[in-house]
Amino acid sequence: MRILVLTWRDLAHEAAGGAEVYTEQVTRRWAAAGHEVTLFAAAVPGRPDEEMVDGYRVVRRGGKLTVYRAARKWYAANGHGQFDVVIDMVNTVPFRAHQWIKDTPVIAFFHQTAEECWHFNAPLPVAVLGRYVLEPRWIKAYRDRTVMVVSQSTADALARFGVNNTVILPEGFEPVAVPQVQKEEKPTIVWCARLVPYKRPQDVVEAARIAREQIPDLQVWIMGGGPMLEELRKTAPAGVDILGRVDENDKIERMARAHVHVATSAREGWGLVVSEAAALGTPTIAYNTPGLKDSTMAAQGQLCPPEPAALAAFIVESMPRLQSEPFAPIPYGGAHSWDEVAGSMEWAVMEFLGRVPADAI
Amino acid sequence: MNRPTVSFVVPTRNSARTISACVMSLRNQAYDNVEIVVVDNESTDDTAQRALAAGADRVIIAGPERCAQRNRGARESTGAFVVFIDSDMVMEPAIAAQIVDAFESHPHLGALIIPEQSFGDGFWTKCRVLEKSLYVGNESVEAARAFRREVFEAVGGWNENLTAAEDWDLDDRIRAHGTIVGRIDAFIWHDEGKLRLRGTFGKKRYYGQWIAAYLDAHDDGARRIRRSGLLDKKADLLRHPLLTSGMVTLKSVEAAGIYAGMRDARSNRIAVLPGARS
Repeated sequence: MRILVLTWRDLAHEAAGGAEVYTEQVTRRWAAAGHEVTLFAAAVPGRPDEEMVDGYRVVRRGGKLTVYRAARKWYAANGHGQFDVVIDMVNTVPFRAHQWIKDTPVIAFFHQTAEECWHFNAPLPVAVLGRYVLEPRWIKAYRDRTVMVVSQSTADALARFGVNNTVILPEGFEPVAVPQVQKEEKPTIVWCARLVPYKRPQDVVEAARIAREQIPDLQVWIMGGGPMLEELRKTAPAGVDILGRVDENDKIERMARAHVHVATSAREGWGLVVSEAAALGTPTIAYNTPGLKDSTMAAQGQLCPPEPAALAAFIVESMPRLQSEPFAPIPYGGAHSWDEVAGSMEWAVMEFLGRVPADAI
Repeated sequence: MNRPTVSFVVPTRNSARTISACVMSLRNQAYDNVEIVVVDNESTDDTAQRALAAGADRVIIAGPERCAQRNRGARESTGAFVVFIDSDMVMEPAIAAQIVDAFESHPHLGALIIPEQSFGDGFWTKCRVLEKSLYVGNESVEAARAFRREVFEAVGGWNENLTAAEDWDLDDRIRAHGTIVGRIDAFIWHDEGKLRLRGTFGKKRYYGQWIAAYLDAHDDGARRIRRSGLLDKKADLLRHPLLTSGMVTLKSVEAAGIYAGMRDARSNRIAVLPGARS
């Protein structure tokens, strides 16, 4: 099958994250299975406009804001009749490919909706415009479309905008070998994410401050780089180590040595860090927010109200048990192998194509 | 050692948004002998499936209103202690253990109050959080929700003629029965979602009908409604002037709703609950 994937950025992009890993893991497996896959993404400085990566072709045009128009232009010149199916990957700003690709079936994929994250990432007027005017309009453009998602939370979020035809795919995860380490002597919490406001590292610091009144030797490791690093270092109370970016081995070891992993993001598509921790034998206490809810349930963790005082109470009341009862590592941390993910997505696309009347193609 | 079972009974109706976190918090109690019975009033969403996926022991389908659902759940549960939870609540992990400790170490206690805090999004919800924080420790507003089974059965369970103020009604009756009510420290967190003034008015108007019935049945019932506790912690109010004025607005709208509902009841008009709520 000839497959075109439209996405805002590819794995070579400096800001590539979980969504790009997902796309890349699927496309390379599809290519290995014999599909002819083309990935269209924004240009990356120092990388060619076109190259082969892991068996699939990457076409790069346009920038952060112009990649959407560039896709349309490129398709008009090179795309007609060249593909059997187009996958429209939506990361907040959509390609709306079904509105301008009429000769080939288009199926969409939403990693997550942005919603309240607008307020963390943009100045107020832009955030209000984005959250209440632009994004609802963008999502509603997919009302009558088939949309793939990776979590029930994203399916629920889309349903609020009238997008009801969703297919929930598994989240993928490549487990690492569990390091042979002991749990810490002191009660220990680990947190790992980029230090940006919507991940809410400041809530963990606040919860630690409250929890230490009950557990004076509580130890907290905050791992990750980002714009809030200096501020957090200045304000962190005793017992809270703001470690900044740590190398992968150190990260895995600390995750395995902690008694509990906490996650406080306002919204995720899935929340893979929760699966990572569970696969290393560390359970999670997470804020009950979209995405984290899904990964934490799958990883047999605990959900708590998104308030530092609640997080502190959950930590204090759970710690005796977390220290005395071992938590067995969960295979794939409650997520799935990438082979399974690639297979499920291929199956969803086939199913979708089967539903499209022949005369529409 | 065989420790007693704590039965949690949760009535639901179209509670898909909140039920998973609610049931998970019960399943993850730092105490092993916990029984979770969800009584679903024919939800049209997937509340029942989500409750089971989150770890409920049983989901019973029964109606017609939440008092009847709670009584049904109590009858079908087995624990020595019965706790009634709403589907939009999340329990701290120590609640079950604290309930057992309190009942075992204080044989004279027949029922327990569990303190509550609210959380949710938006300005009106923040006003509600402030309001609820003022009630903690105020016996005219708080009502028992954990009972020794024999005490709960002795007073005949929930009053199925009420759909609002039923918690005060039960609390009043068990106290009249001579039961001593204690309290624990761990909190229940109440998910208010995103409050809207108009929705609040409609909901209170619906509940107002039963408030009239509650007042008819209890001579001193009005002390509950007046919520004098709002002025007991003045320092908290002064610290949050904006939220306080919002809270005054919110309470005024609610009072107007309840008044409208009581008038509806007295004139035999039946209001319809806007939106779904268990």
